[in-house]
Amino acid sequence: MSQRLDVSEFLTGYLAEAEEHLAIARSCLTTIHAAIQRSELSPKSVRELFRSIHTLKGLSSMVGAEPIVQLTHEMETLLRAATKAGGDLPAGAIDIVVASLGAIEERISQVAKREPLTAAPKALLDALGELQFEGRPPSQKGTLDLDDETLAKLSAGEREELLQGLGGGRRAVRVEFVPSQKLSSEGFNITKVRSELTKLGDLVKVLPRSIPGAAGNPAQVAFVLLLVTSADDDAIAAACATTPEEVRAIASSIVPLPAASSVAMEATNDASGDDLERSPRQGDVLRVEVKRLDEALDGLSSLVVSRWRIERAVWKLDEEHANTRELKNLLLENGRQLRDLRAAIMRARMVPVSELLERTPLLVRGLARSSNKLVRLTIEAGTSELDKSVVDRLFPVIVHLLRNAVDHALETPEGRKAAGKPEEGNIRVTCRTQSATQLALVISDDGRGVDAARVAARAKSEMPRTDAELLALITRSGLSTLDKATHTSGRGLGMDIVKRVVEAELGGELTMQTERGKGTTFTLLVPLSVTIFDVFSFSAGGNTYVVPVSTVEDLIEVSSRSIVLAPNPSADGNAVRLLRHRGQTLPLYRVDALLGLKSSPAPTPKAIIVRRDTQSFAFEVDHMLGQKEVVVRPLRDPLVRVRGISGSTDLGDGEPTLVLDLPSLLYRPTLQGLAS
Amino acid sequence: MGYAWPPHEAPLTEVLVVDDSKVMREMIVACLRAEVGLTFEHAASGLEAIERLSLKPFSLVVLDLNMPDIGGIEVVEFVRSQDTLRDLPIIIVTTRGDEGSRSKALLAGASRFMTKPFTPEGLLAEVRSLLGQGHARPQ
Repeated sequence: MSQRLDVSEFLTGYLAEAEEHLAIARSCLTTIHAAIQRSELSPKSVRELFRSIHTLKGLSSMVGAEPIVQLTHEMETLLRAATKAGGDLPAGAIDIVVASLGAIEERISQVAKREPLTAAPKALLDALGELQFEGRPPSQKGTLDLDDETLAKLSAGEREELLQGLGGGRRAVRVEFVPSQKLSSEGFNITKVRSELTKLGDLVKVLPRSIPGAAGNPAQVAFVLLLVTSADDDAIAAACATTPEEVRAIASSIVPLPAASSVAMEATNDASGDDLERSPRQGDVLRVEVKRLDEALDGLSSLVVSRWRIERAVWKLDEEHANTRELKNLLLENGRQLRDLRAAIMRARMVPVSELLERTPLLVRGLARSSNKLVRLTIEAGTSELDKSVVDRLFPVIVHLLRNAVDHALETPEGRKAAGKPEEGNIRVTCRTQSATQLALVISDDGRGVDAARVAARAKSEMPRTDAELLALITRSGLSTLDKATHTSGRGLGMDIVKRVVEAELGGELTMQTERGKGTTFTLLVPLSVTIFDVFSFSAGGNTYVVPVSTVEDLIEVSSRSIVLAPNPSADGNAVRLLRHRGQTLPLYRVDALLGLKSSPAPTPKAIIVRRDTQSFAFEVDHMLGQKEVVVRPLRDPLVRVRGISGSTDLGDGEPTLVLDLPSLLYRPTLQGLAS
Repeated sequence: MGYAWPPHEAPLTEVLVVDDSKVMREMIVACLRAEVGLTFEHAASGLEAIERLSLKPFSLVVLDLNMPDIGGIEVVEFVRSQDTLRDLPIIIVTTRGDEGSRSKALLAGASRFMTKPFTPEGLLAEVRSLLGQGHARPQ
C-alpha cells in the first residue's frame, strides 16, 4: 500500500501557509530589489526567500502539486547558491523569480479551486536553470570576537551580516539564554526570547550550547544568540532573562559604515509597514481564518433578526395599548450594543490598503519591462483600511487598470519624447477614505489619453460628448475583445469587468477623466465593507425582495395618468409601457414578470427608479414595505448565482429574502417585463 | 508537568514533531494517528525542539531539515552530543532534492531518513520499527 495521505483536510491550511510564503517571498524580493539599486547585498532577505520557497516546495509535494514543486525546486537551487554568495543574486534573476512567483500563485489558486494544475512553464524552468551560478564567497570586512566553535558554525553570509551595518549606535553582541522548567512555566522559552530579540534588532544566529553540569548534575543546554542591535544591554538582558554583564560586544568593524546601511534599511522594511507607531507589534497579531469571522458575522445577523422579531412583538403590544416604554428603552440600548458588536467584528475584517497595493510595484515593473516602457509608479496608500471581501474583489480590478495604463495608455520612451514629455511615464495610485463608508482609489497616468473618436468608431456609436459617456462606451462588454485584438485604443482591456466589479459587485462608482495627450484618471469609489446594506423591501408577484438603497434614485406612485403606451419593436404585439418622471419618459418594467412570476396588477403599484450608466429605468412593484439595514450574504456558489440577484438576507421572518440588482435583471434571457 | 531531571521513564510514548510549517506537523500527526498509545507535542523550530528535549523526555522525534536559525542536521548533531539523548530515535523528514543531506543526516546520527511526499504507511512503519527496537523509552 502506498496511498498518499488524504490531503483534503489539510487543503485550507496548505492554502493559508502557501499564501503566507508567497507574501514573504514578495516582500523579500522588494527588499532585495531595493538593495540592488543601492548596490548593496541583502543576505537576510535572500535567506528568508530561500526558506519560504523551500517550505513551499515541501508542502506542495505533500498535496501533490507537482508543477509548483518543479518551479520551487529550480528557484531553490538558484537561491541556495545566492545565499552562499552572501546574498548576491545574478543580474536578471529578480524578474525571473518574480515571474516564477506569479506562475506559482496561479497554480495555488488552481489548487484552491480544485482544478487540475497547469504544467510549469518550460520557458521559466529553463530560464531559472540558466541562472544557476557558482556563488563567490563575500569579502570579509572585519573580525568577530567569538570562540572557534561558534565561529565555525557561522556561514560566510552570517559573518558578513554581523560585520555589516555597524556604527551609528549599532553593534553586534552575543548573549545567552539558559532555559529551565521554571522559566518555561512562566512562558519564558527560546521562541519568546527569539521574538523579543527580533524586536530589538537583527537576530543573525541562534546556536545551542551544552554547558557542563556542576557537581555531578547532568549537562544543561544554553542558547547563544548573536544579534546586530542599537538597544542597550539592559533591554537585551531582560529579553533573555539574564544580567547586563552577560551581554558582550563581538564585532569591530574596520570601516564603520554609515547608519543607513543595508541591514538598517532592511530592518525598517521588515517591520512590514511604513508606519511603525501605527502598526501593532508583530507578537500581538493573530492570523484568523476569514471563515471564523464570517461565523461571528452569521451569529450577529441572527441576533439582528431576533431583534426585529422583538421589535415586531413590541409594535403588537403597542397596538393593544400596553405600556411598552421600558421595553422600547431596552430595545434602543440593545440596538446600540448590536451596532458596537458589529463594528468590532467589521474592524477585525479590515485590511490596510497599503497591503493591497504592496504587490503592485513588482507587477508594474514586470509589465514595463515586457512592453519596453519606462514607468515610475508612485503609491500613496495612506492609512485607509478595507474589508477583506472588498480587497479580494478589488485587487484584480487594480491589476486590470495598471496593466491597461502600462500597456496602452503610456507611450514608448520615443513616443513620449516626440510628444515633448519626459521619457519616463508616471502612474500614480492614491487612496483616501472618502467618508465613513467609502474609500476613493485614484489611478492616474500621464499617457496619451483615450481617443474618443476611435472608441466611438470601434463601438459603432456616435461620438461621446462627455467623459462619462466615453467611459460607458469603453465599459460596454464586447468592445474589450475588439480593442484587445487591435491594440489601437488607449484603454479597453477588460474594462467591462472593472465596471462590473466596482459598480455591480461592490455597489461603488467608477468615473474617468481623460485628456488627449495629457493622461487619464480613474476614480473608484468603493464601500469600506460590503456586508451591510440599507435596503428597501417591497413585494412583487406575492414575494418579498429587497434592493440596496444606494442604487435607488427615486420611489414614485404609478398611476394610469403617468403611463404612456408605445408600440413594441420586438413584434409580439404587446405595447411597451413608458413612465413619465421628472420630464423624462422611462421604460417601465414589471419586476414580477422579469422574475418569471405570474403578474397580477396591484391596486396601487409603485415604481422604483434606478439609474445605470446614463440611463434610468423604472421597475414596477406591488407594494413598498419599508427600509431596513440588513446583513447581505453574497451568493458565492456559482450554481446558485443568477444574474440580477446579488445576494440574500433575512428580514426577520427566518426566510431568505433575495437582494435584487434591478438593472441586471434586464439582461436576463427573458425580457418579458416590458410588456403590459 | 512535574518532570524531574534527569528524565525517568515517560508515562506515555511521547512524540515530538518538529517542523516550522503547522500544516506539515498536522500531516505528520495525521499519518501517525493510527498508532495507539502515541501522544504528540509540536515544536515550530529546531531551537524549540532542543529546548523541549532538554526539559522533558520524549520517546521519538520526527524532524524537518530546513528550519529557521538552525536546521535539522544541527539539531541532530546537538542532540547526539548530549549524554541523555544519545539514543533518542530521530526520523528526519525532508523535501525531495535534499537527498544530499541524507548522508549528512545519517552521519550526524539520525535514525531514519524520509523524503516528502511520504505515505502514512511508510512513516508508520519507520515509527513502529524504531519504537519496537527497545527505543520506546529514552535511555
